Amino acid sequence: MQPKNKRGDWSLMDADWNDDLPIYRQLRDRVVAMLLEGVISDGDALPSVRSVAAEYRLNPLTVLKGYQELVDEDLVEKRRGRGMYVLPGARDKVLADERRRFLDNQWPDVVAMMHRLGIAPADLLADIDSDKNK
Amino acid sequence: MTALVSARGVSKHYGETRAVDNVSFDIEPGRIVGLIGPNGAGKTTLLKAVLGLTDCDGDLSVCGLDPFRKRRELMHAVSYVADVAVLPRWIVVSKLLKFVETIHPNFSIEAARASLAQTKIPLNAPVKTLSKGMVAQLHLSIIMAIDAKLLVLDEPTLGLDILFRKSFYTQLLNDYFDEQKTIIITTHQVEEIENLLTDVMFIDDGRIVLDESLETVGERYTELMAAPEQADRARGLTPLAERSLFGKSVFTFEGVSRDQLAGLGEVRTPGLADLFVAKLSRERAA
Repeated sequence: MQPKNKRGDWSLMDADWNDDLPIYRQLRDRVVAMLLEGVISDGDALPSVRSVAAEYRLNPLTVLKGYQELVDEDLVEKRRGRGMYVLPGARDKVLADERRRFLDNQWPDVVAMMHRLGIAPADLLADIDSDKNK
Repeated sequence: MTALVSARGVSKHYGETRAVDNVSFDIEPGRIVGLIGPNGAGKTTLLKAVLGLTDCDGDLSVCGLDPFRKRRELMHAVSYVADVAVLPRWIVVSKLLKFVETIHPNFSIEAARASLAQTKIPLNAPVKTLSKGMVAQLHLSIIMAIDAKLLVLDEPTLGLDILFRKSFYTQLLNDYFDEQKTIIITTHQVEEIENLLTDVMFIDDGRIVLDESLETVGERYTELMAAPEQADRARGLTPLAERSLFGKSVFTFEGVSRDQLAGLGEVRTPGLADLFVAKLSRERAA
């Protein structure tokens, strides 16, 4: 058996799949989310295809396809005979991507919403600071 | 790649009844194939033909052998759990393992013991003292200890509770399956195995009405949840089937691109159970 990860927290991936996206894609998204949350880090091994397939009762080709997405994005690499490993810099890469996505897609909506509701940036900043001081 | 199972025009008649009616298909090594059909569709007859337990018309080859004529040889390469499989009630588990060892050349008694060690089944227990779930586990431990190229499971989890069913498939994937092995499963619990399958075959009235990899199912079939005002436009694209859900119409389409449907509502890949119903109602109407 492969070691799961530092916190042994692969169970974070509960097996609730939604019908809107292919499962391999959801698997890829979950690994990315785990990278962002720091559950797995650069250099960590991903669980073997077999153990993920068995645990979630997925066919191994689906798991492999999900992992292949991560390989194609240069987030993990396949080491011959040893499995999949998170590449150095993967987390920074994911973080940069997600930040860009937030700024490009979500932030304009937030700004529009603030205009509609008449919220000044200073109000929000005051809010964030008071949260910090709690 | 050469197919592990190859059927061309295979039929099986019982008197006037055509249990299997002129079917052709190939199954490649390393696949997990779901054979789905209503009761009496011909699933078990087809599996019996594949295993050489019954003769049939047409060309059928399994592991390169004619299953009916070369059954003895074939039995080295396949293992099978029948939906009606029974173990002798009086036999003690450890004796059963020794017995299988003497009759099957590819059976590893060590592998079976290791697999049983992960269950609550005691080696010194007679079969009659085991629960239904334990008997199913015992079966699985035995057949998974046979180094077979093809594993045929006919309703393997019938009558088992959900926990047993889940652990059954987990064990199957963890301890048995690899890219050299091929599994054919029939079950009525389609939802439970649909993520497990690489391929699916629907059989109805002795004929194969769908034979696809799960990947191409997602490309060929789409489900559309349309708002009422879009329903007529959706009907114009000749859906396979229509049902209603929370006041919306849900359509199943074959060979209609997602782009064509995108403006009409939410588009997704249908679940196998819904696809099965859609496909069969269409076949039967035809």
